[in-house]
Amino acid sequence: MEVRTEQFREIALTELQNSRSRFFLKLIPPVMAVMRANALKSFPDPPAAQAYGAAIRAESVDRLPDLLERFEQKAVANGAEVFWAEDVQEANEFILKLARERGVEYITKGKSMLTEEMGLNDFLGRNGIEPWETDLGEFIIQQLHRPPFHIVGPAINIPVEEVCDLFLKRADLRERTLDPVQLGYAARVFLRDKFHRVKMGITGINMAVAETGTILTVENEGNIRLSKASPRTQVSIMSLEKVVPTMEDALHLLRLLCRNSSGRKITSYVTMDNGPKKKGEIDGPEELFIIILDNGRTQIYQEGKTRQVLRCIRCGACLNFCPVYGQIGGYPYGWAYSGPLGSILNPLLLGLDRTQDLYRATTLCGVCKAVCPAGIDHPSLFLHFRAKDVEGDRKWRGRKRSWKENFFFKGWAWGASRSWRWNLGARFMRRVWNRVSQRGNGDGLRKHLSGWLKCRELPAFPLKTFHERWKQINRVPKKN
Amino acid sequence: MPPSARDRILTKLRGAPKCDIQPRPDLPPLVELSFTQEEMIGRFSESLAALTGVVYRVKDQKSALEKLEEIIRAEGLKKLMASTDNVVGPLDLPAWGRKKGVEILTPRDFESRESFKDAVFQVAEAGITGADFAIAETGTIALIHDQDQPRLVSLAPILHIAFVPLARMVPTYEHATRAAFGKKDRLPSQFTFITGPSQTGDIQGTPFKGMHGPRRTIVILIG
Repeated sequence: MEVRTEQFREIALTELQNSRSRFFLKLIPPVMAVMRANALKSFPDPPAAQAYGAAIRAESVDRLPDLLERFEQKAVANGAEVFWAEDVQEANEFILKLARERGVEYITKGKSMLTEEMGLNDFLGRNGIEPWETDLGEFIIQQLHRPPFHIVGPAINIPVEEVCDLFLKRADLRERTLDPVQLGYAARVFLRDKFHRVKMGITGINMAVAETGTILTVENEGNIRLSKASPRTQVSIMSLEKVVPTMEDALHLLRLLCRNSSGRKITSYVTMDNGPKKKGEIDGPEELFIIILDNGRTQIYQEGKTRQVLRCIRCGACLNFCPVYGQIGGYPYGWAYSGPLGSILNPLLLGLDRTQDLYRATTLCGVCKAVCPAGIDHPSLFLHFRAKDVEGDRKWRGRKRSWKENFFFKGWAWGASRSWRWNLGARFMRRVWNRVSQRGNGDGLRKHLSGWLKCRELPAFPLKTFHERWKQINRVPKKN
Repeated sequence: MPPSARDRILTKLRGAPKCDIQPRPDLPPLVELSFTQEEMIGRFSESLAALTGVVYRVKDQKSALEKLEEIIRAEGLKKLMASTDNVVGPLDLPAWGRKKGVEILTPRDFESRESFKDAVFQVAEAGITGADFAIAETGTIALIHDQDQPRLVSLAPILHIAFVPLARMVPTYEHATRAAFGKKDRLPSQFTFITGPSQTGDIQGTPFKGMHGPRRTIVILIG
């Protein structure tokens, strides 16, 4: 998937003109707020349930190497084969090798953000293996060559007319219809044939349970179950932070994931795989390959501050309530991950230099942090990234600032750190400022502060400060 | 021999600074844990009905078969696929079906994965299974997949009918997983939670059922 994080502003400006997307985006927060709150009420103490989830994820991440080893041991004992990949290239090539060895011409896949990070579809396509996205939304955006709009509903903004035109060409649609149900049925018929004959299914993993070696996936459509049941070979891919200690931890997180993600208590299907099928079973995979992918996460793990990013369970609650995402949708974030979860992860995977706008396009309102079931403190991470960027941090590829900006802020810090300097400076600046704004000569300043002044006025300051007036008032003798 | 990717990854993770593991905060138990059986049945039925699932309650196997016949007539079903699990297996549905004039296949009729798939994808108008658990919490049925419970029977046909003995009704997911995963050395190859029919809202947020899996789910609670 092409990385377009550097075009955040351009794409955001375009998306702000898209009235259809904005219509959807406006509906999401109020609808989701109600649904999520109602679903969470099934817990006797919802904040305690969220805090418990955060504790599970914090522990999962802090015990990561031990849990991964245990998971691998158990999964292998169940008959699965575990492959570790340091980067995307290794993982993609492993999958290609498996496909070629087995004479696989096409694969069916479930929705997986990780495979988008890997660019797996393009990689397979270039190497002669056809990848079929089977989640309806993913199928649509794959055919239309669009990035995902929202983590849960990747094509939810696409008008029904466009889907109809697409399906007339590429799915089993016989005549024009604008009925989403008919369109969905056409996709069902088209993809059903793929599922029937598929030789290799590729899925993501929502949770890997260390206690039992289980991999767990959630879905509503049934496409993941079909990709696991029909073919002889199943490949399931996880990034290394997806592991959780026990089955009961996984179930608690399952409850939180579904409620925070779509306001439902549970998805239509939850499948837990313990290795390939056993002898005598007529369906299910004869071989199960589990790929554990690093791709920069061991680096994120090294620092306590950045490590919390690995707690994310990809529920998408942060997207649903973010005021910034709520204006622009997923496209401007330019990669597989959007919204606040994208703004904390993309910079660490791609570099602070390539994701400049992502951790700056935030109001720091903190709603993401408030709703997060994994207890991630997004706003403090945004500030952390900005600091590292400005410092030109080598490890995270901060960009550093121009000498002019550095000079200005050094001067500012100097002036602001003693009250006499500040007061002197303020007195001076007021006079200059008032002269500049009264004469309508703001243009002189405007050039240097154009970004700041784009949506702010340049008013004049009153003649006296509050302190000066207060002093004056208090000098007036009181009548007795 | 150079270190493998696995070794390099684990070494890097182990080399990172250690954080103290915080103790888990308190978590009040779910209310479902104190449900009576009637409350469980009520919650199960409500939850599933809210998802357009249909729940029938019958008193015994005989009535369950009568209910099945009703459904078959109402839907005009001619060809079905039934698993041979320990709930529906003993009912000998193929023989019963012959008496009623409908063809009920089982996976045992097929020699190969391919011929089984042809039948379950293209021929079967409904899939009939039992269930290992009914979970009251969310109207979920849970199936252990093994040679008597193929994955596709409850998935490929457009209608899924599940027979569930009431004794298998439990309050929460943990009850089901503790039992299913109890024998640590013989974990089931797959364990599936099914809550209502297949669904999506991916086109303009308009929800509908039966995207890839069944469009309708019918549960017959027996007992």
